[in-house]
Amino acid sequence: MVDDVINEVNAKIRSYTNEHVTEWKNSGRPVIGYFCHYMPAELILAAGALPLRLRGAGSEDSSAGDAFMSGRVCTYVRHVMSLAVEGDYDFLDGEICLNTCDHVRRAADLFVKKTNIPFHGFISLPRNPRESLYGNLLKELRNLRVALQDHFGVEITDDRLREAIIALNRNRRLLTEINNMRKEDKPKLSGAESLSVHIASQVLPPDVFAGIAERLIKELKDRPGLDSPRGRLVMLGAELDEPDYVAVIESQGALVVADLLCFGQRSVLDPIDENTDDPLDAIGRAYFFRPSCARMIGDFPARWDNLNRIVSDARADGVIFTRLLFCDPWGAEQHNLLHRAKKGNTFPVLTLTKEYGIVPTGQLRTRVQAFLEKIEIARAKRDAVGGAV
Amino acid sequence: MTVDEMVGKPEWRSILESLPVIKRFFEGDPDSHGINALMRGMSIYLEKLVDNLERENPAVWYNLGFNSELIYALDGGAAALPIEALGVMHNLLGDIKISMDFIDTAQAEGVPSDCCSADKLAIGTLHRGLYPKPACTVGINTPCDSQVMATQVMAEMSDAPFFVVDVPYYHNDETVRQVAAQLEELIPFLEENTGRRIDFDRLREVCELSNKMTENIWEWLEWRKNTPLAQSSKLVAFTLILQILFAGTQEGVDITEGLKREALERTERGERFFEERVRAVWYQDPVWTDMQMYDWFEHELGLTVPIDVFGYYANEGLIDTSTRETMIYGLARKIANCHPMARQFRSNIDVYIRDFMHMLESWNADCCIFAGHIACKHAWGGIGLFKEACRRADVPLLVFEFDMFDPRITSYDDVYFEVDRFVNEIVYPRKLRAGKAG
Ligand code: SF4
Ligand code: SF4
Repeated sequence: MVDDVINEVNAKIRSYTNEHVTEWKNSGRPVIGYFCHYMPAELILAAGALPLRLRGAGSEDSSAGDAFMSGRVCTYVRHVMSLAVEGDYDFLDGEICLNTCDHVRRAADLFVKKTNIPFHGFISLPRNPRESLYGNLLKELRNLRVALQDHFGVEITDDRLREAIIALNRNRRLLTEINNMRKEDKPKLSGAESLSVHIASQVLPPDVFAGIAERLIKELKDRPGLDSPRGRLVMLGAELDEPDYVAVIESQGALVVADLLCFGQRSVLDPIDENTDDPLDAIGRAYFFRPSCARMIGDFPARWDNLNRIVSDARADGVIFTRLLFCDPWGAEQHNLLHRAKKGNTFPVLTLTKEYGIVPTGQLRTRVQAFLEKIEIARAKRDAVGGAV
Repeated sequence: MTVDEMVGKPEWRSILESLPVIKRFFEGDPDSHGINALMRGMSIYLEKLVDNLERENPAVWYNLGFNSELIYALDGGAAALPIEALGVMHNLLGDIKISMDFIDTAQAEGVPSDCCSADKLAIGTLHRGLYPKPACTVGINTPCDSQVMATQVMAEMSDAPFFVVDVPYYHNDETVRQVAAQLEELIPFLEENTGRRIDFDRLREVCELSNKMTENIWEWLEWRKNTPLAQSSKLVAFTLILQILFAGTQEGVDITEGLKREALERTERGERFFEERVRAVWYQDPVWTDMQMYDWFEHELGLTVPIDVFGYYANEGLIDTSTRETMIYGLARKIANCHPMARQFRSNIDVYIRDFMHMLESWNADCCIFAGHIACKHAWGGIGLFKEACRRADVPLLVFEFDMFDPRITSYDDVYFEVDRFVNEIVYPRKLRAGKAG
């Protein structure tokens, strides 16, 4: 049953860690945490370590993080850092931060100064995905490769990198297959279920995830599709790793049939060349030139085109944009998205601001209901015009 | 946009009308060389802007992490337009209600209220169509995410070619070299889009003017190390504006000459109309909405601010004008390592704390005032480590929240109250106990 697999997945993502992480560690292998999906997980895997996407799940309050970061930093980072400064992430053998945003930058400072994690890596990721800046990133990846080798006493050979590419490509293909099933007229799984699965792909050992995903795909094939009487939606935004939040949206009669969320579909790259002579370069290029996120400057037109493609491909009726309070990169995205949507009179957009770890059910339901009504009215008008013609 | 169209807009008219009045007002005090030169510089900037419009010269928009030299080196002239300019001018010279309207406009157009008001000012002006359409735009990722936001919106609103300068995270020479490589890319971009050429002889002159301005700033800031501080506290914050608007111009040199001369003369005369009881490093954003507040601090509390983070200009070398390459490298170093805020705010917290400790010691301060601009997330994100550093160094620290361009967030009274309590109940008694008070 699909429900059984999803329940199993949900049990594994309930907290910031899971039993497979413990098993991995118990087998004497290191675990390395990272914040952002621009971090090439292949490099960690090729060092013999488990890449674990940092989450605040299970953190009940952010006061320890607040004490260092104030209440003006995004709650995702504050929850992660609460866990970290309280020692909950001390099981990590290393962490790697990027200059994703100001918040993660400051988290990097705290990891170094206020945790017992032994290895600290950092990547300065250029803010604009153009060819002339790519060399700067490649240098960073080379430096990180050396730092990981030195610290963990392993040689990260090209063959090991290719093996890591193969392992993660397998999961990318599986996730793509799952995402394709969401686009059907009667989607095979909900947006909330899909988000759970994507989160699992970032916190489980790759082969464990692959096993689950294969079982899920088999079960999904027999599942009758789901109804979405009030509309098909695309969700867009940053670090949302709470399937319950998506479930509240869907409880109003719509389905999220595609998404561009950091923990969701956006984390899935196209497969990387497995036979390349220079795997580090192939990895670097795949990550750097992927469909960008809001922290990349000068790339909004490409993001807009990508969103339009996804909306039309998924035959969606509207877009829900979520932003975490205090996030500037996604603040600009909100402005630009509304500006384009208004100018081009394209799809309806609902913008939501949220705090990590809180699902404000009442308020969220009301706003989604109003949005769906708007979509229904627009559809009715369109149908009426179509009828007259 | 024609000159008539520009002058016809109330947001510009108000500045163009008020500036001469304010200028005359300050000229009433002939000793105020600094502020007088600044007012003259502002007038000349506006005159040049009008002149550029009349000549139909291209305009280049950029955001506040960028320095203006390359634009001033375009032959035949181009208007250099930092998108924050008009909003900031309204705070300093015009009508603060207008700048609050810019903020409200930006929010109404989808900019979240928790974003930096410097950017909301800029975005508000863009939505109101207050700048001449640019030939191209330059966006830089420093000092912060907020600037990343501003540049993304600028790119969207301008409908013009956009070039991104990416300053890497690290505070080292490799960073400078990477920025220099991007300036090499920027040059053909500017040339192609403005139809002007960078004249390298002209660039040398511009860099020499820029160096002169920098040297003046260094000398000026040296004079502000004197105890008691002879020159008004409020003048210190202008270094950032100088770099954005005047780097590479004669006006920049004249303004800094004025600031330096004023500091020197006042120090030599030793006259002060109040007793300096406490000196603070103002380590975050100035209260731009009410620069008179610093006068109140001085007269009512005996509190002076010899240096702040906007005013500090790191002594990291001048632009070597011997070759094209050395000039580009020098400009890159200014952007990455010297530009106020961009220097301290883009990298790790150690750079931020190290500069503070340097300012504290060199400007002989007794305490720190962390005026926490609410949207400055990297600063708030490091507040715990900053507090620890102050505690270790035994430096009294005041932390409060406010908005540097929006007085509706924290009232002036609340700021006065916080600073008053800090000075009178903590710092001054402590100085008395240590036998360090006058
Ligand atoms: S949501 Fe925004 S502020 Fe938070 S980590 Fe992501 S980019 Fe940074
Ligand atoms: S005040 Fe802070 S948030 Fe605003 S532009 Fe400066 S560094 Fe950025």
